[in-house]
Amino acid sequence: MPSPQAPEAPLAQTSLSVLSLSIPVAMGYVPLGMVYGFLAVQAGLSIWITVAASVLVFAGAAQFMMVSMLAAGLPIAAIAAATLVLNLRHMFYGLSLLKRLPSRLSARWYMVFGLTDETYSVLTTMAPNTSSRHVVLLTLLNQCWWVLGSALGALMGARSPIELLGLDFALAALFTVLAVEQWRTAHNSAPLWVALISYAVSQWLAPTQALALAIGLSVLVGLLWPANQTLLGPAPHD
Amino acid sequence: MIDNGYALSAIAAMAAVTFGLRALPFLAARWLQKSSRVRALGQFLPLAVMSLLLAHTVLANARDNPAGPWAELAGVGLTMGLQWRWRQALLSILAGTALYVVLRNHLW
Repeated sequence: MPSPQAPEAPLAQTSLSVLSLSIPVAMGYVPLGMVYGFLAVQAGLSIWITVAASVLVFAGAAQFMMVSMLAAGLPIAAIAAATLVLNLRHMFYGLSLLKRLPSRLSARWYMVFGLTDETYSVLTTMAPNTSSRHVVLLTLLNQCWWVLGSALGALMGARSPIELLGLDFALAALFTVLAVEQWRTAHNSAPLWVALISYAVSQWLAPTQALALAIGLSVLVGLLWPANQTLLGPAPHD
Repeated sequence: MIDNGYALSAIAAMAAVTFGLRALPFLAARWLQKSSRVRALGQFLPLAVMSLLLAHTVLANARDNPAGPWAELAGVGLTMGLQWRWRQALLSILAGTALYVVLRNHLW
């Protein structure tokens, strides 16, 4: 969306450079998508359902979690609630992209739909005047890598008679990576301790609902916790 | 087999929740930016939720393992160390999972 004042920025994207920006994402999405697809089919999902989730939901960590929750036969409401918690962070990503929304409506909604952790981080490195077409192209390429990986993994899972114990640890490893990255940018360790203490208390009070209860407790403490005003900066006027 | 209708309902619910979360900042930007409570929660919650999900998943894995939580601790430890040092998410996840699979199938 180039404004009349802004001359052609040096970082303006071409379709080829958009492709090169999405290659590092592909190197993560294809193998991880394969693990997801493999686990989903091994857990008893059909191939097309496994791929449909990657087309319609497009959220890696949530899809990994979906596999174990569906396998356990949990109610839809529980799965929706878990998705809400897991993807809550996406709400805060969008705030920094407000001025970069494509002007075309369909492009705008597709970019919002495809705003995964990885797409978000690549979008923030692109020039602010990148065209709608390139923003959509990047999002679409990223989603194609994820869908491709899921389909390959699902096909392998459907053919593979071997059942390796412990492949589902990929989910725990994914959460470990996300926690380390949150830890790196955190300003203090209070959220970590609040979470662990909430979890211990919840395990003691209601072992079957421990996660939901602990999340509720953490939200409550987070709301009451004194905000660090210097880090938040002044609230924007207007 | 997991029932297709059940799985599709879950996928529809997840798609709606995920899209809603991603769209919210664009629909309610002013409210989200102005409310200092919301912004404070945005600062506090991500690390808390990730820690919870990690603790919960590791505990669930460890409960399935009669030999004790050693394989889980080793897998998380390796993943954490690699991610902290090199920031290559894929490397950390694959190495941690591979170590865990080897330990579970051959040792514990």
